[in-house]
Amino acid sequence: MAISEKPLHYLTIHEAQKLIHDRALSPVELTRAVLERINAVDGKLHAYINLMADGALQEARAAETEISRGNWRGPMHGIPVAVKDQLDVEGAPARIRQHTKGVGDATAVRKLREAGAIMMGKLAMSSMPDEPPQPRNPWNTDHITGGSSTGSGAAVSAGLCLGSLGEDTAGSIRNPSAFCGIVGLKGTYGRVSRYGLAPLSWSLDHCGPMTRAVEDVAHMFQAIAGYDPKDPTSSTASVADYAGAIRDDVKGMVVGVPQDYIDECAPRTHPIVLDLVEKAIAELKSLGARIETVTVPTLKLATIANAVIYYNEFWAAHKSDAPWVLKNGAAQRRARIYLGLLTGSADYIQAQRIRSRCRAELAEVFGKVDCLALPNQAGPAPLVKEVGPIDTLFKHVVPEYHGPFNLTGLPTLSVPCGFSENKLPIALQLVGKPFDELTIIRAGYTYQQNTEWHKQRPPI
Amino acid sequence: MDKLIEQSLKALLAREGLEPKEGDLEQFAEIIELYMGNLKTLHSVDLGAEELGPVFRPEWTAK
Repeated sequence: MAISEKPLHYLTIHEAQKLIHDRALSPVELTRAVLERINAVDGKLHAYINLMADGALQEARAAETEISRGNWRGPMHGIPVAVKDQLDVEGAPARIRQHTKGVGDATAVRKLREAGAIMMGKLAMSSMPDEPPQPRNPWNTDHITGGSSTGSGAAVSAGLCLGSLGEDTAGSIRNPSAFCGIVGLKGTYGRVSRYGLAPLSWSLDHCGPMTRAVEDVAHMFQAIAGYDPKDPTSSTASVADYAGAIRDDVKGMVVGVPQDYIDECAPRTHPIVLDLVEKAIAELKSLGARIETVTVPTLKLATIANAVIYYNEFWAAHKSDAPWVLKNGAAQRRARIYLGLLTGSADYIQAQRIRSRCRAELAEVFGKVDCLALPNQAGPAPLVKEVGPIDTLFKHVVPEYHGPFNLTGLPTLSVPCGFSENKLPIALQLVGKPFDELTIIRAGYTYQQNTEWHKQRPPI
Repeated sequence: MDKLIEQSLKALLAREGLEPKEGDLEQFAEIIELYMGNLKTLHSVDLGAEELGPVFRPEWTAK
């Protein structure tokens, strides 16, 4: 009898960890299946920029030996994962570090290794110095994956790893998760260490998991969350048992809908997104959640405040690279330097004041609701040929759905909630209280237990 | 691009010993002008005497 009814490369982490635990599936067999999948399709997707096949097989053999001796470390043991290149890995520092050294394994990478995960390699991201081929969307390779965790979106969606670490400064986990039909979690700022994450913007950067199911995000997040003395903004807040406490139940949960902000973004949002997100919220209601309309007036300024902080901190972080970047770097990086330079101290401070105001308004709203629900994207993934080199930056400077939650550091979860007419994924965004990732994980899990969107796989 | 913005950017670049890549100021004119306009919007908000709160701390509440 087959180990699994579905191809091994499409097992969820939750499915695979059960089989590995029960010794019905070997980490070596699983890793080989994922490598075969990479060899079969990554020539079309360009997700990996550094495939560590030999090291992965060595790690898989070690995991197999350990598990066979009865030393199963937990749900991530023997699970093939890959990471966005922005994270340092021993022997493979982030390529966007051009004048600073890597740190060996980033803390999140180290924690995944300690949990027994198999490191498959490093994945492409936007604006890399050597500009490798742009990853393609597995649902239709004429379309983009969304960025900047471009390779992570493509790899997880197409079965080139079971989970990935991404990074999000202005939507870079949630955007590719939405476009590629997978689940992405940006935890609360401070929840996951940024040590070893090459900075784009110190106070906005978040590292988080990208997977094919909400329960998988819980397993990966469990492995990487927690205090790290090497990150000065790491939080000592206690870490919940995300996977253990997950359950199919939103009865009594109060879900706030910031309708005024959705209306603000609506002229730039495709109707299919508004329609499918409205249906997803109605589904949560039918499952027992109470829906409340909420108002957060400063949200309309949050995207630009996020951009001001982003570009100013980017300039400060990349000043030593600037001579090289302005001669040879990607257009987006050059533009960020110009915008960062043009941002004065009064602008930066005003953005921080907006940040404080927005945070206070959201804290008041979260006194009345358990989470927020809103769209996660302006439309389905655009065609590659229709996206200019700096188009992403326009998204950063008009009100949209991602930046406000980098600005405020709130946890957010991207959950697939349907498809456009041309079969491209659409996602719902759930936003939680600070350090309450569990509530949005529970809401997302309940939604997935009662819908089928996340079970669909791309045609590639 | 607005002349004043262009001159400001060139001066800021020169102060850092940098030069824009050829064609960049024309290519990026739209995003730069949009961004500069949005900076004005950011400053048009009346925050009253509200002081800058903690720039950022992971643990935050309404208080």
